[in-house]
Amino acid sequence: MKPGLIRITPRQCHQYVTELVMSEKDKVGFFQSVKEFVYGVAAHDSARFALKTRASMEHLFILITMGDMLGVPILPPYYSLRLLPYVVPQISTWKRRMMREKDLTDALA
Amino acid sequence: MNSIFVLILGFVVAFIGYRFYAKYIDSKIIQADPKRATPAKMYMDGVEFMPTSRNILYGYQFKSIAGAGPIIGPIIAIQWGWLPAILWILLGTFFIGWVHDYGSAMISMRNEGASFGGLSHRLISPRARVLLLSFIYFYLLLIVGAFGNVVVSTAVALKAAPMAWLFLTIAGVLAGQMIYRWKKDIILTTVVTVGIAMLGIVLGTQVPSDSILGASVANSRWVWAIAAFVFCYFASVLPIWRFSLPINYVASYIVFLGLFFGIIGIFILHPDFTLPAVTQFSIPIGPVWPIMFVTIACGAISGWHSIVSSSGTARQLESEMDARPVGAGIMFLEMMLALFALIIAGTIFSSAGEYSAALAKGPGAVFAAGVGKFLSAVGMPLEYGRAYGSVMMIILAVTIMQLVVRFMRVATAELLSDVSPVFKNPHIGTIVASILGLILVMTGWWQYLWVLFGGANQLMASLALLLISAWLVSDGRSAAWAFYPMIFMFVTTIAALLYTSYNLLVVKVLSGAVKGEALIGNTLMGLVALFLVVAALILAWEGYKAFRRFRAIRAQAAPSKA
Repeated sequence: MKPGLIRITPRQCHQYVTELVMSEKDKVGFFQSVKEFVYGVAAHDSARFALKTRASMEHLFILITMGDMLGVPILPPYYSLRLLPYVVPQISTWKRRMMREKDLTDALA
Repeated sequence: MNSIFVLILGFVVAFIGYRFYAKYIDSKIIQADPKRATPAKMYMDGVEFMPTSRNILYGYQFKSIAGAGPIIGPIIAIQWGWLPAILWILLGTFFIGWVHDYGSAMISMRNEGASFGGLSHRLISPRARVLLLSFIYFYLLLIVGAFGNVVVSTAVALKAAPMAWLFLTIAGVLAGQMIYRWKKDIILTTVVTVGIAMLGIVLGTQVPSDSILGASVANSRWVWAIAAFVFCYFASVLPIWRFSLPINYVASYIVFLGLFFGIIGIFILHPDFTLPAVTQFSIPIGPVWPIMFVTIACGAISGWHSIVSSSGTARQLESEMDARPVGAGIMFLEMMLALFALIIAGTIFSSAGEYSAALAKGPGAVFAAGVGKFLSAVGMPLEYGRAYGSVMMIILAVTIMQLVVRFMRVATAELLSDVSPVFKNPHIGTIVASILGLILVMTGWWQYLWVLFGGANQLMASLALLLISAWLVSDGRSAAWAFYPMIFMFVTTIAALLYTSYNLLVVKVLSGAVKGEALIGNTLMGLVALFLVVAALILAWEGYKAFRRFRAIRAQAAPSKA
């Protein structure tokens, strides 16, 4: 090991970054905190519902274009393959959301 | 006793509870770890699982749990006297309320952000999940009935309220259009739409509903009940950004400003309690135990919070260390809101007779009178302050009601679509929910309706505490701090529901004491109460079996001491 370099494990690195982020978070000013609180009261719910609506549309789009992955060939494979590069970043999230158990309480909060 | 002393007592209880009791549980028993990845980080999808700032979650949690519940409960419960109500609010929050909210968030976080349906399946049994979901439908129905009654009684009692409600609706729809369609600046949108809503309050005071519609229409409960359900119908079938959410957005500013200046008004006037500390053990809706313990639900402990904490907040907490400030801290804040409502009811009337006369018009009339008085201390004319209070009451009730009708539409489709595909239609689902709600609003006595709503709410809380206890036992942690509150809540709630259903079905219906519309309302409410009791007993039995199962597993796993 070269002199002057400190070897740290990934765990120590994670701990260091976590502490750094936590200390930065603590520095949030009073007015910023109030602003965030007001946002939380007034608009956070709206933002969440808007995101949920968009996610539902995205899921439908992926189902239509990539239905082959679930054995539902809606679009001819030629077009699916053309679209695949654009959909790849969404696939892991899509699978997770589709596979997760849901019930009525998910709609309530 | 002076109201300032009550507020200080509340602060002291909140400080001790949050700083010592909650911290001890959080650090020693749950062992919250800032390094443990939360579901928001592990399963981030940018939608439901999303690491969110603690400050934003304070606002989100507070807005989601603090509706009309913590205000109306204490206003009704002061009929037993203010002392039992204060004791239950303080002790209930200290020993049960925060445990329930914080525990629900923590159990969901430690189980990959699972919702309560999934948790009851995993920790108790598959039957528990089915029961929970069917139970939730009746719970939602009782919310619609109880809150619908508040809206109707407030619109009838306070003639300024309907105009302000109409303007709020217009302002909300305009806000949705400005934000989502015209892409206008949020600050401009807020100023314009909140201004329109405020204008409605001024106009409502100048031109009351009876001067426009005539006394017979303005005093008709049917008219305002139908208006409320037409409002909910639009909220249910229109896209959520078009109606429900922007109305809630504008409404949140009206409520927030009213509460803020109202509390300042209390500090300025610091009135003494004028109603008696203790009246009698039993009043027309029942004895202090168990009925008062379900009348004040939110403000001491509420099952609704467990749904928000598990399916909402737990999926957004970016660190386990945030669960205590958000889950427990906001529960203590809601306790202060309940004390605020109690001070309103206990200090503004010169005698118990005056309070009873106001309560006969509905809890909205009591709340509006109190808000009017305390806002007058910060310079608002009494008449406008009362109109402001009436609008706050309608807002607090109707914004929850519209969302609940929407959820009931979803639940109707979930539960009945196998019976007939027609129930998948959003209009049919909404109409079914609205008709059931309308029957309750128009035919049920509102105080019983409130007790039943509180009972369903507390039963939900008992189930959440059962799940928390089961998880603690399965994980080998000390469970007494959640187990004993669960036992207390189960026994109290079942006693309250049995007492109410007996009163409704045996004393009123079978004896022939009620006829016509009231017969339908009392029968329906009595049967719902019985269903809730049966569901609770089955859940308790399933929970008992789950505990035995966990104990047996732990006994097998323990190494021999020989």
